[in-house]
Amino acid sequence: MPDLTQGEVHALGRAVGLDIQEPELSQVTHSLNAILEMLAEIDLPGLNAIEPLPLTLPEGGL
Amino acid sequence: MMKEAIPFLSATELGAAIQRREVSPVEVTEAYLDRIQQVDGKLNAYITVCAAEARQAAKDAEAEIVRKRYRGPLHGVPVGVKDQIHTKGIATTSGSRLRAEFIPEADATVVKRLKDAGAIVLGKLNMSEFALGDPVNSAFGPAHNPWDLERSPGTSSTGSGAATAGFLCATSLGEDTGGSIRGPAANCGLVGLRPTWGRVSRAGVDGASWSVDTIGPVSRTVSDCAITIGAIAGYDPQDPYTYHAAVPDYRQSMTGDVRGIKVGLVREFLDPETCGVEPQTRDAVLAAVQVLRDLGAEVREVSLPLAMQTGVIIRTITHTDRTSLHPEWLRERPQEYHPNTRVAFMTGTLLPAQVYYKAQKLRELVRREVLAALQEVDVLVQPTSAAPAAKMDPNSRVRSKEQAKRALQEGSFRGPYSLSGVPALSILCGFTKEGPGALPLALQIAGRPLEEGTVLRVAHAYEQATPWHKRRPPV
Repeated sequence: MPDLTQGEVHALGRAVGLDIQEPELSQVTHSLNAILEMLAEIDLPGLNAIEPLPLTLPEGGL
Repeated sequence: MMKEAIPFLSATELGAAIQRREVSPVEVTEAYLDRIQQVDGKLNAYITVCAAEARQAAKDAEAEIVRKRYRGPLHGVPVGVKDQIHTKGIATTSGSRLRAEFIPEADATVVKRLKDAGAIVLGKLNMSEFALGDPVNSAFGPAHNPWDLERSPGTSSTGSGAATAGFLCATSLGEDTGGSIRGPAANCGLVGLRPTWGRVSRAGVDGASWSVDTIGPVSRTVSDCAITIGAIAGYDPQDPYTYHAAVPDYRQSMTGDVRGIKVGLVREFLDPETCGVEPQTRDAVLAAVQVLRDLGAEVREVSLPLAMQTGVIIRTITHTDRTSLHPEWLRERPQEYHPNTRVAFMTGTLLPAQVYYKAQKLRELVRREVLAALQEVDVLVQPTSAAPAAKMDPNSRVRSKEQAKRALQEGSFRGPYSLSGVPALSILCGFTKEGPGALPLALQIAGRPLEEGTVLRVAHAYEQATPWHKRRPPV
């Protein structure tokens, strides 16, 4: 997946009510591209079928 | 006892001396307030010092002890509290100008429990703004590392690390989402325990990420850590996710005996080429593991295949969660955030829902990996951080995608245990060199859910077998 451009990140910001300008715009673009790239690289078979359970429950529940 | 010597006692020693009435809570509190006056100009560990309230609490504690109403090992012992933890009538800023005027009407459960245990709250400790990122993000200026004032005390419980290592409180509370207790403990040469998620109430704590946040001790010794967690742990009806399980006396775990304990050394954090760990840090951890082996522990290597991806997984989750807590401020008062916080929150706002959901699925796989490994061994060990404390950069910013990726990868050192909700402790395991300029190195020990006692047992045995905790920083 190609990196998002600063223009695309600015447009994404506008879509959620944020007017992201420099010097933040380049930093947000770097941060966002880093996260998206690193997560995209994790390609595990069967991941789509996983049901997220964010908690570790003791036996018998809470 | 000489007043000047009091702050250099451990919390455990101090509590015992108070119980024996060799020193009074009033004398102890005055000794700490004097030291704060003398030293905190260098460390900037406190945002607020509650001198009047502390003096009154000390008098009350002393009166109780005279009446032989002894509350336990923290009775009369001065503590510091991270400034995202509510304190009735005392500003609780979360390290931000946006919260500078916030004065809670009630204590957080953990503060109430500390007070019920007889502890004296000295003040509110510095932190990275909204528990995120660099120490320099604090609206009150960065806290400084007592081992080297130019270096980071670790983040985000910056003041908890600096004050405890600098002898400005006997023990302290921090909050750990992605490593904010363990990081400061590692950088400052302390013992920091992230408890099992649900072991300690989050009620009255300004949150970052509800399913990851934990409150725990940052202390100078394992024993201090044990008495602090013992005071604050347990079910709280104000936090529906706290466990009903009884809280053991964690001091009983500290037998010094680890014979037969199964220790899993996590191999993903040992190769400088793949995980970025500095050889000096790795070697200190391997030496610590040898100490445990010599004490009779059974050591084997284990694998957590997703370990080095946990930094990006947890950052995706916590950035999104954290940002969702104050969307109006980000849109209406963005200039009041530190620029680094603003960048992080804007990033969190733009992360797509499907990316967040993928991170949650990956979290479940990480949880399975960690719990499966803990079926084979009693504790997992690894470095707490890739490297010792770095120099603080007052102009820190995200300069490139590659730099952002390196920062995400470093977060992986503490990520597996944050994501899986198990207890994890950081303990000093050596120094970069002898003499002036030495920086602490740290070992991380993680255990099964609710088995803080096993983690403390291993940490205590290691601490007692090694000399590291006896060194003092040059402040």
